[in-house]
Amino acid sequence: MELSPYAQGGWRVLGDPRRFPRRPFAALLRAAFRSLLEDPQAALDDPDLKDIDPTVLKHCHAAAATCILEAGKQKADISAISTCLEDCKLDKERIEQFCTEYQKNKDALEILLGSIGRSPLHITDVSWRLEYQIKNNQLHKTYQPSYLVTLNVENSDSGSHPDVSFSCTMEQLQDLVGKLKDAAKSLERATQM
Amino acid sequence: MLLVLSAEHRAHLGCLPRAGGAAVGELGRLALEQLRRGAAPRACEAAARKLDIGVDTIQHGVEGLTYLLTESSKLMISEIDFQDSIHVLGFSDELNKSLLQLYLDNRKEIRSILGELAPRLPSYHNLEWRLDVQLASRSLRQQIKPAVTMKLYLNQNEDQTAQVLQTDPATLLHLIQQLEQALGEMKTNHCRRIVRNMK
Repeated sequence: MELSPYAQGGWRVLGDPRRFPRRPFAALLRAAFRSLLEDPQAALDDPDLKDIDPTVLKHCHAAAATCILEAGKQKADISAISTCLEDCKLDKERIEQFCTEYQKNKDALEILLGSIGRSPLHITDVSWRLEYQIKNNQLHKTYQPSYLVTLNVENSDSGSHPDVSFSCTMEQLQDLVGKLKDAAKSLERATQM
Repeated sequence: MLLVLSAEHRAHLGCLPRAGGAAVGELGRLALEQLRRGAAPRACEAAARKLDIGVDTIQHGVEGLTYLLTESSKLMISEIDFQDSIHVLGFSDELNKSLLQLYLDNRKEIRSILGELAPRLPSYHNLEWRLDVQLASRSLRQQIKPAVTMKLYLNQNEDQTAQVLQTDPATLLHLIQQLEQALGEMKTNHCRRIVRNMK
């Protein structure tokens, strides 16, 4: 696992107990994880960080965040992370602190990174309506059941998207459900392989 | 339910007895072609020459017949009601019989043509699906993320659209469960009762 020179520079500062004593170091680690996984804004407000120069704080925060994201992206194990931080002259205790914090947040990080990216419109839910048509202004006595199906979809970029709605007869709905069941069966077989 | 024919309609249809038996068949054919494909002035002219009747008369006759057939088909009136409705025109029994036959022979087709005029939402045509497993992306390596990618074909007003959609295994099972419930609804007593009573 490799970090850019900028990030490495930030870690070197983080590793220096004179520039970054114990409490601020722990606080910065927490802040870095929180800013990525929870709220990007509030993270650096920790009182333990108030004595650090803002420019330095920014540099170190960026370095920490870069390391977290890179480790998450590569699914790096502890030894890879440790090696990387050793190159930045961090002592064992600080490396262990980072790794512990990383392990705690690893799953959430993976989910976050996995959700970034382009994909086709994603179906999240379905609603349906059954109606019995009696007449319309062109034709009376139609007497036919009809389904209106609405698929709720989400766009990976913007979140919401107008739903996909369509009408169908009972036979068509049976066809649709049959095909979905084929897909599900095929999924089941694939997971058993 | 009786069909109400306005004075204008009656006037249009009034040309039929004068035209004769063969003409009714010809005009009926023209009326149906008009319903299937739209107005055809050339065909009317040809018929006018063949039957030795004025083009205007032919035109009116076709219009009158078209209205008679479409309204009867739309309302799905019974044989008796149809006969009673045209009785006011005072035609011969033979002519009445021909008109009734014309109605009964073509009712189904006319209804299906009228059915296409109704307001419609995009309707289901077909679904193709594919099983995918995402292995990596720019932001995350070493993934195993199964997904079902689908292409939903819909028809709207003679255009066919295809939309690519994706879903995860859990949502797929949820979709199947929900739609199976929807299918099951038609078989419930409530729905059966409504269908039985609305005929």
